[in-house]
Amino acid sequence: MFKLLQLFLRMSGFFLFLLLETICLVLVVRYNQRQNAIYTYTANEVSGFLQKVGSDAYEYLELKERNDSLAKVNAHLLNVLANEKMVASANTGIDTAYTSGLLPQYTFIEAKVIKNSINRFHNYLVLNKGRRDGIVPHSGVVTGQGVAGIVRNVSNSTSVVMSILHQQTRISARIKGKGFFGSLMWKGSDARIFNLKDIPKHAPVVRGDTIETSGYSGIFPESIMLGVVNKVWMEPGSNYYNIEVQSSTDMSNISYVYVVNNIFRTEAEQLEQAVLKEDE
Amino acid sequence: MNSIITANAWRFFLLIIVQGLVLQNIGAGWERFPYLHIILFPIFILLLPLRTPRALVILLGFIMGLVVDSFYNSMGVHASAAVFTAFIRSYLLNWIEPRGGYNVNYSPTAARMGAGWFFKYSAILMALHLVIYFLVEAFNFENIGTTLLNILVSFIFSMICLFIYQVIFNPVD
Repeated sequence: MFKLLQLFLRMSGFFLFLLLETICLVLVVRYNQRQNAIYTYTANEVSGFLQKVGSDAYEYLELKERNDSLAKVNAHLLNVLANEKMVASANTGIDTAYTSGLLPQYTFIEAKVIKNSINRFHNYLVLNKGRRDGIVPHSGVVTGQGVAGIVRNVSNSTSVVMSILHQQTRISARIKGKGFFGSLMWKGSDARIFNLKDIPKHAPVVRGDTIETSGYSGIFPESIMLGVVNKVWMEPGSNYYNIEVQSSTDMSNISYVYVVNNIFRTEAEQLEQAVLKEDE
Repeated sequence: MNSIITANAWRFFLLIIVQGLVLQNIGAGWERFPYLHIILFPIFILLLPLRTPRALVILLGFIMGLVVDSFYNSMGVHASAAVFTAFIRSYLLNWIEPRGGYNVNYSPTAARMGAGWFFKYSAILMALHLVIYFLVEAFNFENIGTTLLNILVSFIFSMICLFIYQVIFNPVD
């Protein structure tokens, strides 16, 4: 304590200097027009700069929340869009189709990808939402670019998705505007190259055709973009085309996905099962 | 003892009057060569007795600067330079202390310390004073060339005036 006091006394000249110099500068800025103008200008520049830095940093911290809210908005828009399409198609038929069209067939739940792989034969995604959030197995998973996979297992708060980069994933696909449908599967090497099977040889498919979901499986709504035809050829003696498709989804770069819930699917499946049983 | 205080008090008033009423007008209206400013009043700070407490030197510098500022109508500009000069004085005195040390009863004058020592002492302090003064006066670094020219020209002429002061009064204490 005494040492501190001594130090303070020894430094008293310095403190007095600082005090008086500060007073002087305040006086300079206060009572001299030119210096005041320079001071005001500089202070504005500096405070503006600091404010900008601060708000930039704050925005950066806020990014995660913004992403979440944007994903929510996207899911909502997808809901509106998918059901809009259905209502529109229902409208082309008779009036009674309207009643079912008014119920939203597909709902979308946004989820964040917490694990992803693309370099194996069987690739999976893990999402941060599960049963509690309304995700059920065998639901489709889409991104803004296209299809990402199919939900395989669901726990309370996470779900595992069979990626489209999985050798056993089959997606019911059709050629946009031409109607022929087949199934799309991964070739197993390049993450963007897929095979489209079961397109009959009389179909007028050419390079550049767009491939989209057919909606037949009930897993995905119809006309979600899958990719573009890259190459078309036919094995001798075969009745079906070999079609190579460049997928629209870049699976190596996805962070938010939307899980598709088809509320009519159980109903449709039960009906189908009943018919199959009858036939046996 | 009393005579030292009286001498310094007289010097205080004389320098303020000379600085405020005479030297202020030199070079004031020269549009083509606005670099000449003769600053003589720091002599008061330079010549304060060696045993003046450091805080008192700084305080006297502050007061003198403010009075000069009231003549120049530039509140705080001269004062900030004077406070700096008064603050740095004790460090400079330590730095250029002659071999035999100081006699604490003396003042740092040419008569006591020798012309060579006094020239070095006054030149360093005057230069520092002018640097601070013109930096505060300009208040930016954009026209640093003009500021440097101001410092150089004013330093030369202020030193000439300091010599004239020395020749006229040759102060002992």
